[in-house]
Amino acid sequence: MTSSLSACAALLQRELRAVARSRSQLYSSILFPLMLLALLGAGVSDGLQPSSPILGAGDYTDFLAPGMIAMTAIFASTFSSASFYRDRETGMLQALLVSPHSARTILFGKVLAAVVIGSLQSVAVLILAAVIPGIDLAWQFGWLGGAATVIAAVITLNIMLNGLALLIATRVRTMQGFHLIMNLALFPLFFLSGAFFPLDGAPDWLRIISYINPLTYPVELIQYACWASSGDGLLGPAITAPVLAALALLCILLGLRRGPAALR
Amino acid sequence: MTTLAHLRSATFQWPGGRGIRNINLEIEAGHWLTLLGPNGAGKSTILRLLAGQIAVDDGELLLFDNPPNDDARRHIGVVFQEPTTDDLMTVRETLDLHARLFGLSRSQRAARIEQLLAELAIEDRAHDACATLSGGLRRRLDLARALLHQPQLILLDEPTLALDPTSAEAIWSRLRQLRDEGCAVVVGTNDTAEAEANSDAIVFIDDGSIVAHGAPTELTAALRSDSIELDWPSCSPDRLTELAHLDGLGALRHAPPTLHLTVDRAASFVPALFQRWGDEIETIRIRESSLRDAWFQTVGRPLNAEVDP
Repeated sequence: MTSSLSACAALLQRELRAVARSRSQLYSSILFPLMLLALLGAGVSDGLQPSSPILGAGDYTDFLAPGMIAMTAIFASTFSSASFYRDRETGMLQALLVSPHSARTILFGKVLAAVVIGSLQSVAVLILAAVIPGIDLAWQFGWLGGAATVIAAVITLNIMLNGLALLIATRVRTMQGFHLIMNLALFPLFFLSGAFFPLDGAPDWLRIISYINPLTYPVELIQYACWASSGDGLLGPAITAPVLAALALLCILLGLRRGPAALR
Repeated sequence: MTTLAHLRSATFQWPGGRGIRNINLEIEAGHWLTLLGPNGAGKSTILRLLAGQIAVDDGELLLFDNPPNDDARRHIGVVFQEPTTDDLMTVRETLDLHARLFGLSRSQRAARIEQLLAELAIEDRAHDACATLSGGLRRRLDLARALLHQPQLILLDEPTLALDPTSAEAIWSRLRQLRDEGCAVVVGTNDTAEAEANSDAIVFIDDGSIVAHGAPTELTAALRSDSIELDWPSCSPDRLTELAHLDGLGALRHAPPTLHLTVDRAASFVPALFQRWGDEIETIRIRESSLRDAWFQTVGRPLNAEVDP
């Protein structure tokens, strides 16, 4: 057990170092959501001046911030999963697999690293959104409770996404194919998650699709914790938190169960 | 002598159909075994079985007297056919990562890494990114990685492929030293010269099966001193019968359009050959008999020929 933890710690350190050295990945993961927040937020808020009472003071940027925190996790998990393919292509994965640890331990170490990196990047966007003037986050449980809820949500979201990525990676042999599937699957799901427009007030058919969508639950949980001044129009943490936790558990268990067989 | 690994009637099949069949091998401490065969013959599959990466479909594999398990890999070092370095890591970071995976303490890691960097003459590149290393240096780093935990069994798949002679010799020299210190060395290659120079025993593997097994001298014992390879498309059974009566002829193997002969003295045999059939023979290659000729005589085609999947 100690040995497995030590192996996971070694893999985590390696991945953190790789991200720190791959600056373009780091910057694009954090800067793109911020750029979208600034441009889309300001553009819609000032250009369209939405008057929906759902938006409170009518600032679309505030509404968009939770979605961008979730989007950072999506970007980060996609990038982190690419390291699985890079390791497979460079032969590094083979070298890791001849260590005295099971394939599942090695995969767990890589997923752990991806979750930590994705969560740190999401938290970085949260911190920036909290301190940037012009974005007013509304902490539902006080700032400490709200921030803790957001952090728990992004960690769980990263676990779900990395479990899902691992499942896809066991089936799709090339990095290009993986990116294609991730883009084809995740971006439509993200658009339907309520990150860009409130689901409350959306047509019924759209809301039905959105509530089938797994990304809706982390996005709503983050919105509840740091955007909504009340729980009106949102599912609320009593629903979103357990659904998100169950989805994350399912994805990671399936990924770790099926992953080792795809490595030989 | 201690037996470190046993393969008994081992069979494994990849999804595409390739694999190995009924392989029996014993790997002994202080012994150098070479798996010799063309690409696709099954050498890498055997090495991956011995590394505990895949499990036999049928038959038995014992590593250190036990069925393969994760812990057995503590005593096995593996060098793969392709370099396994991460371009974003430095040489020292690469070794440190793998040393941690093998459970070496901080002080053990520091000492062992310094020792291997010096032994393999890569200490001056310790802080360089792997992306900046030449092919030869990457192979040395791979070997250092495989030796970090002082394995008893070292498995190497084409370890000197595409290396310059100096780099290759540096690796062979270190491996000979390890063998002399009591490690078992198992090398998969299709280079007969390397196999003949270093091995205590050689296994010929063709199309997933062992077709010959013995010491290099045993495998070449039946050969006469010179070998002749002829491209002779029109060579008929009658010609072969006539050839068999020529003085000095040893083994003969006809694999159209090639005819392979071992003879006592090529200098006296070849003029007689050309006197009779010189107009039918298109090409001739003459050399001192070696393991390469033992392969041709056993398998019926040159070693560099690819095996069809």
